[in-house]
This record gives sequence, structure tokens and C-alpha cells, in this order.
Amino acid sequence: MYSDEIEKFFKKENIEIGDRISIEKDGRVYEGTLMPRVQGKNNIVVIKLDNGYNIGLAFEKASVKLLKKAEKQAREEKIEEAKGDVAILGCGGTISSRIEYKTGAVYPVISPGELVATFPALSSISSIKVRKIFSLLSEDMTQEHWKILADEVAGEIKDGARGVVVMHGTDTMAYTAAALSFMLQNLPVPVLLVGAQRSSDRPSSDNELNLLNSVWAAKNANIAEVAVCMHATIDDSYCYLHRGTRVRKFHNSRRDAFKSVNALPLAAVDYRKNFFEKISNFAERDKERKLVLDKKINSNVAMVYIHPGIKPKLIDSLADYDGVVLVGTGLGHVPTNPFNDKNAHSIFNNIKSLIDRGVAVVMASQTVYGRINMNVYSTGRLLKEAGVIGDGADWTPETAFVKLCWVLGHEKKLEKVRELMMKNFAGELSERSVLKRDFADGEEL
Amino acid sequence: MMLGLEIHQRLLTHKLFCSCPSELVEDGQPDLVVHRQLRPVISEMGEMDEASRHEFENRKQFEYLAYEKCNCLVELDEEPPHDLNREALKIVSQIALQLNAKPVDEVHIMRKLVIDGSNTSGFQRTAIIALDGYLETSKGKVGIQTIALEEESAGIVKSENGKVVYSLDRLGIPLIEIATAPEIKDGEHLLEVAEKIGLIMRATGRVARGLGTIRQDVNVSIEGGARVEIKGAQDLKMLPTLVELEVKRQQKLIFILEQLKKHGKIFIKKEFVDVSHIFKNTEAKLIKSGLAAGQSVFALKLPHHAGLLGQELGPNRRYGTELSDYAKTAGVKGLIHSDEHLEKYGIKPAEIQELRTTLNVQIDDAFVLVVADATTAKKALQKVYERASMDYVPKETRKANEDGTTSFMRPLPGRARLYPETDVPPIVITKEFLREVEREKGKSFEEKKEDLFSMLNKEMAEQMLRSKNLLLFEKLVAKFQKVEPTLIASTLENTLVSLRREGHEIKDVERTMNELFSAYQEGRFVKAAIPEILKLVASGEDFSSALKKFERISGEKLKKVVEECGHDQKVVMSRYRLYVDPKELGELLAKTSDQSNAGKTGKAG
Repeated sequence: MYSDEIEKFFKKENIEIGDRISIEKDGRVYEGTLMPRVQGKNNIVVIKLDNGYNIGLAFEKASVKLLKKAEKQAREEKIEEAKGDVAILGCGGTISSRIEYKTGAVYPVISPGELVATFPALSSISSIKVRKIFSLLSEDMTQEHWKILADEVAGEIKDGARGVVVMHGTDTMAYTAAALSFMLQNLPVPVLLVGAQRSSDRPSSDNELNLLNSVWAAKNANIAEVAVCMHATIDDSYCYLHRGTRVRKFHNSRRDAFKSVNALPLAAVDYRKNFFEKISNFAERDKERKLVLDKKINSNVAMVYIHPGIKPKLIDSLADYDGVVLVGTGLGHVPTNPFNDKNAHSIFNNIKSLIDRGVAVVMASQTVYGRINMNVYSTGRLLKEAGVIGDGADWTPETAFVKLCWVLGHEKKLEKVRELMMKNFAGELSERSVLKRDFADGEEL
Repeated sequence: MMLGLEIHQRLLTHKLFCSCPSELVEDGQPDLVVHRQLRPVISEMGEMDEASRHEFENRKQFEYLAYEKCNCLVELDEEPPHDLNREALKIVSQIALQLNAKPVDEVHIMRKLVIDGSNTSGFQRTAIIALDGYLETSKGKVGIQTIALEEESAGIVKSENGKVVYSLDRLGIPLIEIATAPEIKDGEHLLEVAEKIGLIMRATGRVARGLGTIRQDVNVSIEGGARVEIKGAQDLKMLPTLVELEVKRQQKLIFILEQLKKHGKIFIKKEFVDVSHIFKNTEAKLIKSGLAAGQSVFALKLPHHAGLLGQELGPNRRYGTELSDYAKTAGVKGLIHSDEHLEKYGIKPAEIQELRTTLNVQIDDAFVLVVADATTAKKALQKVYERASMDYVPKETRKANEDGTTSFMRPLPGRARLYPETDVPPIVITKEFLREVEREKGKSFEEKKEDLFSMLNKEMAEQMLRSKNLLLFEKLVAKFQKVEPTLIASTLENTLVSLRREGHEIKDVERTMNELFSAYQEGRFVKAAIPEILKLVASGEDFSSALKKFERISGEKLKKVVEECGHDQKVVMSRYRLYVDPKELGELLAKTSDQSNAGKTGKAG
């Protein structure tokens, strides 16, 4: 990733990353190992000095010489498919990445050997089988990936895994968790998604505790749900298992980013103490239970965040979708301008014509916490009468979106879609609202 | 002997990778307490280094105390680092230029693996800013190998039962790290180098002052010995002693190795023997209370070590103390060895005899004992075994003790500890940036020194060179060119200090000094009134009203006063010392006496 001028020069001189070179400049000579440029493309050569520091020296007016070629080290690409009690599937993301500093490339961890080398304690928790499914940043995941992943998980369960752990980037983990919750029904064993908020190449990464807890729970915990296993607090103390349809990422860097919304976590887990405490009701393991894989999904769904001054044309532009989730304000509102203010625009008619065209329109709330109620204000009543789905739902916007994709994979008729949307499949809807809003904050187990 | 110095100095700016102020917490309750663990990661070159492995084997629980006033999520490693503090980069570049070093063209921030918990992330961020400088000294040039910018670690509060508590207040404060080449001649020279680098840094006025803001690490090695880094020398004057004692320690270790090697290759059998039963009825307090608490006594035989464990390596430090330092890293309080007066512990001759028989210790052999729970005791003996088996002087990081001796901290870390900080992009050092640094740098340290010696007497110049008021002095001298520099210097260095001692503390010194010397330059009061005016300002009066009370008497008014006092200089001064300029008075008196003389002459003539 050096500038073309430097790359050309290196090629001519047979200089490669890892070689020992000298750089003479202004009468001083610097010696070190040529390093890759990880960021930025400019005319500066990066070398690692013998004291371990990297420095950048301008190529201009410098005399660069090859001193010694690097010894070639072949990277082992062994893919082991050994049997293991717990199947670990890699989708990419922080948790399963390893930086190869010699080349600057990010590699997914693919073999049990690599994973055990990184986390020696794994081998004392369970025998494992590790497979790479994708190498993706989680923001690049699509509905297609959910289908492939659901298939792979189902395959592992059929092969007799005591539990499946999915290593996943954290950004869209909640979506994937919800998708797997709808696609994998009647689970006999747990399917746990795990990630890391802080990069794997730091000794303080949360990856170790999260991964080891998830593998421990996949093997030992008496639970058979799709759940996310992440730090409960910013301490390295224990993890929560959050129901796949209830979990949401609430912070872009803290370890305790994941919380259950409108529900309590399922359980708390700490492998170091063989500790597993049930917090909510969930399905228990049952080897005899027959897994139902239902991966029909429709990806022609959009989600719109309602905002002040939203333009009617934005809603009109959604006419070609099969479904739209409106992330509304408060109890589930959008601008309807009932008092005919001259500066306000209603988008009510635009929504109504979407529905009249057969687009399924579903309501969720920006407040994330709380239940949609379209009876309190006239805005809500209007939307409800027009056919917006979701009155009474306590789903997160993400879960509403995933569910709409999944329901539309099965049904297109609006009345049928409404019925399925409002039926609880995977714990995404509840009749009663829990008393505690946030279980993690300041609560000690 | 190879002798080098590494100086760490806190900079006077906010934290390096966030906007938290570089403030310390004196005491008080933390706003948040966080518990963490660390795990070593493989370095970019694929090696895990000895120091990290050492820490990993003794994996600990860490407790971090965080404070709202000086911590944010960055110090808790709950948020990625922000951009590097440019002000800090400027300060370091400025000092680098003073030390004739060459700035790099692009700064690459590195992570230095430190998994003793003193960094929440498990690494300290550090970057080389400049290389290859030198310092002029009385014994020739001393090379400056590297000048780095790094973040301060967290301060240890306490360590107990495998848990270490750190306070996060100082974590992330920017430090400049200056490493000299191993070209320092001796202890005295080391002192000179350390002092001079300190002066150069402080003369910029942009580094912190006070206890703990500067740290000197000394690197010593002798032929046949090993590179040892001594940390934590707080008092500069201790440096020569530190060097002298370290050289002696290494010489003595070489001597001990020679004695041991007379018996062939050093071989110690790794056998940790539980000898608790021997002390069933012991009167040795330490052992008795240990056994009562359910602990055990474990022993290790050290062949051919008789007499060597008692060899003095330094004041109150024997070879046995070295082994004890290693044992302590496993969590024991210390050890007992056979070159000590075992009777002083209350161990009976019969018990000693039984020990010797059980361990098969011959006249030439020695043994060590530790009292602890079985696991810890065995771990401790493992450390002793490892140290005693070394047939060389080990490379170590050691801690300076108050008496100039040192204690083992950990093996010397290697280069495998550094890998790139990928969360912060590299920073190109542009020509514009360097021009800005050059512009802000002002005069060099040598120029400043010359200026001081030309303006002030030698004693005052030396004092001002070391003073925290140096920069203010320079500003005032430049601004008030009609005021004698000596008056400014003595006001800053003497008057303010004695007023403070009397309890008169001026809050905004810089502002007050500007007002003071501006009025003085206009001739509105006299020198003698300075302490009085400052006292009023210290008591809360504003400067102009304080000034009014000490307005200078001159011109016509002075003439009246002179009349009133009968033209007697002594009387004028005794009554109006704080209001009258002696020079003006002298001139006036001279003039009037001339006139009266002239008058007399006139009358007479």
C-alpha cells in the first residue's frame, strides 16, 4: 500500500515487506525492517527500528538499500474439521480477527488450533469444531447471509453439536440474532452469538471472557434458545445471555453495550465459577426435540427513521418495497398535521397510499424502550385506521424489521401479514411489560 | 561500564489521547470502580516476550479507581483513543530541537505491551518523535538516541492476594521520554547529564514540575554482567550511589558465579520438600503462626551455596536477598536461608539438624525455606530455583530503594513488546509544523543561560535558570526594558517567597507582576514599597487601590517634604522610606545645597 513510486522502486530493488533495509537521509543512516503501510498512501517509508519502534521516513532524497531478505514463513492454512461438542462458526468481526503485522492484513481465525492458541483455556472447557462461514464486517451482512448461517447452524445441530457458538461482528449482531430466532424454531440445544467490543489485539479485549462464557454455556447450560452472550457490565466479571429477539447494541465501544429491551436477560454466566443463573423463563435443552428450519425471507423491506420536517416524497419513494418499518416517535407517531399548521407537512396520506398499494407498513419506536400504543393520540388512531401494523407491540425497531422480512417471506396478503406480525414466534412480543427497565445498570448479581 | 539514562517527564498539557485534564486526585472516593483481567497477545513479529510471559504466569485481578474530574471512557479502555494531543507533540518536538535531534517524517504510535495492569488496555501508547541528538557536557558529547512521546501509566494503590488496585487519575498524562546512548562516563557524569536535560526541559516552561513529575531510569552494565534497568530514582543526588552500588552488585554476582562454577555446571535439583513436620513443636514465631494458619514450610536445597547466600552484594543486601526478591514475585513475604542466623528466628539447633538430614545438606550446601500455603510456597521456590540456576548475571528491571540499593522487579522486557496502535493514524510531520515549533521554541537553552548571566549576578542567574519563574522572568524583562532585571529577578525569587512564608500568597502572580512593573516603569512607586503593595494585593485588594496607598512622592511634593524635614536626608528616609526614591532625594538635596551654597556665595559676593 505504498505510493506507486515507492512500490516501483521496491520491485526494482527486490525489496519486500519484512526485509531489512537501510535508509540514508541528510547524512544519517536508519536501519530496520520494512513494515507495511496500514493507513494512508503517501511517500513515506515505514521501518521498524531494532528497539521495536516504527517510524516513517520520507522517501524523497533518501537512499534506500536492501540489507537482508526476510526469511520466508509460510502461513498455515490448515482447515481442521474435527468433531467437537461445541461447533464454533465464524462470520468475521472483531472477535474472530487476527492482525498479521508483517503484511498488515486482517485474517479470520479459522482453525481450532489457532483459536486454542489464542485462548488456551478453551481446551479445558470443551472439545470444539471451528468453521469459517464468512469473513465479513457485520455491517455487510444481508438477509442472504442469515439464510446461509441458519442452514449451517442447523447442519451442526443435526451433526450432534451440544451447542453452537456464532462469532459475529457486534454492529448488526442483534439483527442476525433475531433472524436466527425466527429461522431456527423448536431448538434442541443453544445457539449463542458472541462478539467483542474491544479489538482482539489488545490484552484487555473482552473477547476472551465473552467467547469462553459462550462456549461454556453452549456445552453446559440447560438452555435451548438463540441468545447473545456479551459482557454484563464494564467489569470482566460475567456475561449475560440475551434473547435473540430482545437484544440491542446500545453503545459503540463499551463492553456492556448489549442489553435486553423490554425484557430481562435470560441468564448470567461465568465459566470460571461454573456459574449459570436463570433470570427469565426460557426453553431448556431437549435432545429429542426436532429442530424446524424455516429460512424463507423477503429482503425487499425498508426501514425509515421518522424525523422533524420529514418530506412526503421520502415515503412516496418506498412504493416498490413489500414492507416498510417506520421508526416513529414516542408511542408510534409520524407527522399528520391535524391542526393544519402552515409550516407542517403531513405524511399521513403518503403512508396511506403505500398501504393501499399493498405495502405492509409496521410501526416501531425511536424510544426503543416501551410499547407502541396508537390509541392515545389522534395521530396514532389515524395510522391504525389506515392499516399501520404494530399497535401494542413492544419490539425493538431491529426485531420489527427482521420479523417483517421473515413474515413477508411467507405471506404477502396484508391481513395475513398483520396476523403473523402480531403473533409471538420467538419471544419478540410480550403481553406484560417488565418492571425493571435496565437490568445491568448498577444491579449486582 | 556502559551507562545510559532514560528520563520521563510529564508535559504541561491535557492527556495524550483524550481531553481529560492532567490532574491528580489527592484523596477522595472514586466515582467508579472497575474490575478487569489482562491476557497477553502475540506481538506483530510473532513472539511473546519474557516480561509478558512472566506476568501471564502470575495472572492477576485488577481493580481500577476512576474519577469524573480526570477520567473518561478512554482511560477505562471503553472507548477508542482520540487523536494525539498536538500540543504535546509540539512540546516534545521543541525539546527535541534543543537536544539537536532529528524529527522523524511520520510519527507512528506504537503499543508497548505492559500487562502488569498499569494500563487498562494492556499496553502503553508510545511514539518516537525524534532520533539521534546529542547533549554537550563537561566530559564531551553524550548521544541522545531517541526522544519519544508516551502516555503515563496508572498509579498503583495497593497489591494484595493476587489483586492489584490502580488509580486512573494519572493514566494518559503525556510524557516525554529521552533516552541517552550508553556513553555516560560515571556516576557524577550521570548526575550532570540528568540535571542538564532536566534544566533544558524545564526552561521551555511547558513541562510539569513537582514531586513525581520526572523519573529517571538508569541503564547499567559491566563486562561479564548484564544490562540492568533501574527504575524509580526520585532524587537526582542518589544517581552516583545507585551506579556505584549496581556495579558492585554485578561484580559480586560474577564472583559468586565463579565460585559456583568451580564445582562444574550449576545444577540444582528441582525438589521442593515439605518440611512442615520438622517444625511441629517449633518456637520459631514466624513458622509457628504460619503452621497454625494452615500453611506449610517448603525447602529447596542449593548445592555448593554455603557461604554464598550470605555474600554481601550491597549494604544490607545479600545473595539470599536477591533470591528472596524472586520468591516475592510469587506472593510470599520473603524467605529464610541457611547463611542467616537461624537461631534469631527461634529455630532450634535440633530442628536445623533434622532439616539438614532430611534435605541431605552437606557442609558445602545451603538451603532456603518459605512459609506459605503449599501452592504459593512451591511457586516461590520455583522462582528461587529458576534464579539460582542461572549461570549468568540476568538482565533485569530493578527498583531503586531509598538507600541506593535496588530490588528485582521483573525480567528486562525485549523488543517484542511493541506493535502498532491501529486506532490512531500515523501523523506526518510537515515543514509547516516544524516551522511553527521553531517559531514557538524561542531561544535555545544555551542562549537563555547566556542572557541570564549577562543580566544577573552569577548566583541569581544560576537560581533563575532552575526556577519555575524563568519564563515569567523572561517575559517581564522583555516587556519592561527600563526596569533593572535584577529587581524583577529578586522580586520573583526572594520577595514573593518571603511574603509567602509570612502567609501572603498572591493568586495570579503573572498578572500582578505585570501591573507592578508597569507602574514601576512609569515611576509611580519606589522599590521599597514593593513588598507592601504585594501584601495588600495578597490580602485581596486590587492593584490600583494598593498602589494609591504607596504613590511615590516626587517633584514639588518631594521638595515640600524635604523642607518639612529640614533638608535632612536621614529624617526624610526614616519618615518616607516607602514613598521616596533615594536617588531623586539625593539629587534634590545636592541641588538645594548647591543652590543655598550658591546663594550664600551670592549673598556674600
